[in-house]
Amino acid sequence: MQRYEYLKLIAADAKDALCVSTGWGSREWWAVRPSDGNLKTRTLGLVSSIAAGLAIALPRRKVIAIDGDGAFLMNLCGLPTIAQQNPGNLIHLLFDNEIYEASGGTATASRNSDAVAIAKGAGYKRALWVRSPEEFRGAFVKAWEENELTLIAVKVDPGQPEDLPPLKLDEIENKYRFMRYLEATEKKGILNPGFDSKL
Amino acid sequence: MANEDPIAAAALIVAGLKKAGIDFVATLPDEKMLEVIRAVEKDRELKHVPLCREEEGIGICAGAYLAGKKTAIFMQNAGFLNSCNALTTTSLQLQIPILMLIYYAGDIGDRGFTTLGAVTEPVLHALGFRSYVLRKQEEIDETLRGAQILADDSKKPVAVLLTKSVLGVD
Repeated sequence: MQRYEYLKLIAADAKDALCVSTGWGSREWWAVRPSDGNLKTRTLGLVSSIAAGLAIALPRRKVIAIDGDGAFLMNLCGLPTIAQQNPGNLIHLLFDNEIYEASGGTATASRNSDAVAIAKGAGYKRALWVRSPEEFRGAFVKAWEENELTLIAVKVDPGQPEDLPPLKLDEIENKYRFMRYLEATEKKGILNPGFDSKL
Repeated sequence: MANEDPIAAAALIVAGLKKAGIDFVATLPDEKMLEVIRAVEKDRELKHVPLCREEEGIGICAGAYLAGKKTAIFMQNAGFLNSCNALTTTSLQLQIPILMLIYYAGDIGDRGFTTLGAVTEPVLHALGFRSYVLRKQEEIDETLRGAQILADDSKKPVAVLLTKSVLGVD
């Protein structure tokens, strides 16, 4: 089962959560939950840290990180930092296809390591492997309802559905729309109104 | 005459940060910044996120900025070099400001770390970051406030290099 199929399962449950993604995961997530609350990132590994920054800054807002095994392994040192802050509003999803999918398909080291053990060792109180669509959705809903920092890891097949629509969004446009969406939904000013506003 | 009490210097720096509007601070210590980081940790108006590696802090601060925080990060210049990819592909690429407070190891007169000192300003400039070397305690408020305004308006990282004299340490 591919990541896209798992993402479809939780699209409705994600409600107004902020969602940080990278690579193919972005295009897939936008297809299943189009929203200005989605943020696409580019730095391999940084999805979990950016999502954690949002979650720490907005403790009453749900934040979802859509991580991959290559990115997860690149930012292992970010995990104890997140665990130490322990944002209960952060749901960390790890889709492990055992390859660097966006970089041509070379194997990652995930097949000889255990992301859940790593996360627990880093201090995540909740981290689990799920092995079926039902377990995946159940773990997501539990993490949401109980408001506990959770890593939900699942092995997935590489690849995307053939009819996956393209993501037509400039990344700066994405950032501004994301910030305006947060201003509207959190009911506060975020962007500096700028020098010109004083003229 | 510089105040050679690092605790008093730390209080000036934290007060300067707050006057500049900073409310979210990520840190990874250098021994020379120990008292500053202790002061950040104690201050109830600042959210403090201690880091394991500097680059993840660029991500955490980016997320916090998007949510409305005014962010700063304390690191040594080795940590700045550690952060260059995130600074390029997140901060610059997405136009996200951050006030970087970098301990200037290998600064003029500093023993050891001369290689690190030699590459620090050239790398900052290669990234297109404005940078300021802060040597006098009486210039703390003006420099931090000015650098924060530059970062916020240019939507880019701005670096303030902290020297031993401003930190009140030998």
